[in-house]
Amino acid sequence: MIDNMREPVVRSAGLVATIGYAAAIAWLYVTQPQSVAQVTGGFTSAIGAYRIDQQAFDDGLRFFRAGQFPEARAAFARADAAERDGRTQFYIAYTFYRQGWGRVYNDDALFTKGLATVDKAIAVTPGGRLVVDDVDLQMRSADELRAELQRGLTHEADDFNPLKIFRTRK
Amino acid sequence: MTALREAVVLPLLFLTIALVAGAHIDTRVALVPPSLFSLVLATMLIAALVRSGALAPDRLLHASRSTIANANGAAALFALFAATAQVLAMLTPRTGLPLLFVQIFLFVLLLNTLVAMPDRVRLLRSLAVTLGSALLLKFVVLASVSDPAGSRVSRVLVALFDAATFGSITQNPEPPSAGYLAFFTVAMYLIAVALLPQARPYAHTTELAPR
Repeated sequence: MIDNMREPVVRSAGLVATIGYAAAIAWLYVTQPQSVAQVTGGFTSAIGAYRIDQQAFDDGLRFFRAGQFPEARAAFARADAAERDGRTQFYIAYTFYRQGWGRVYNDDALFTKGLATVDKAIAVTPGGRLVVDDVDLQMRSADELRAELQRGLTHEADDFNPLKIFRTRK
Repeated sequence: MTALREAVVLPLLFLTIALVAGAHIDTRVALVPPSLFSLVLATMLIAALVRSGALAPDRLLHASRSTIANANGAAALFALFAATAQVLAMLTPRTGLPLLFVQIFLFVLLLNTLVAMPDRVRLLRSLAVTLGSALLLKFVVLASVSDPAGSRVSRVLVALFDAATFGSITQNPEPPSAGYLAFFTVAMYLIAVALLPQARPYAHTTELAPR
């Protein structure tokens, strides 16, 4: 009698566990996380419970405004270990832009990393629209930053224009 | 077979095998889906399991069973297929001539098994030998050939062999953990296959009964 009552419970629980486990594995295959932080961050962001380390983010912002870009990236990476926060990823991409920007030529390697990071920022932002309210920035949307990085990576005749040295960093 | 085994143990075991077998350990861990050929081989292997009686699909999916029981059975079969495809993909070398030879080797072996129709015990033994051989070939033989830290003599021999085969033998070096992981994955897979519901023995004689 007890066995007859328990069997549907076992079967239902087993089915739910199997579906949940299969969904988690499918998610791992799609997102390819590289650390435990990315795995837990992915799951918590899926249920809207992901929070960045605010102290580390503030440190990163301070370094960013002081022009210490590698230090800023380290702090931002600590703040958003799971790489699930669009705003933090935007600032990381911006550090690549500012560090890689040059009056005569840009650092393509840094711009490429910046482009990959801003793409990540757009991907993790619901709806893909990312606008950062920061008066210190001349580009406040991920779309502007992305376009600027792409322009920097494109080689064209205009690159040889000598007046280019008068352009300013954004 | 108990409901616990069918609804919990088998699906979770096979899904774990699919997850671990799909992990390619390199400078970073990448989860790689199975190749199309692995899916074909997995289909053949499951067909061989059914024909040998090692797997009785009617004990997992049948009109006489309840809906939830059929859902459990379907989940177990899906997980078995995913795990089989991933294990076969894991045991196949990644590039070059070894990839081609091992694919042909596995295809012919499975075709032979399908045609020979061994019983359950013989099939499980054959499966253990097949998977074990593929494991040894990839993670012992090919890994030692592709080891960049090998002795000078072995490196010269490998270089000569590689030149003769237009560089199609050596593989990207695998970390030692990959071999251990593959060994435990194959062992877990063989245990899980042995746990599958087997066909019930029945008398299939055509002799006339005496009056």
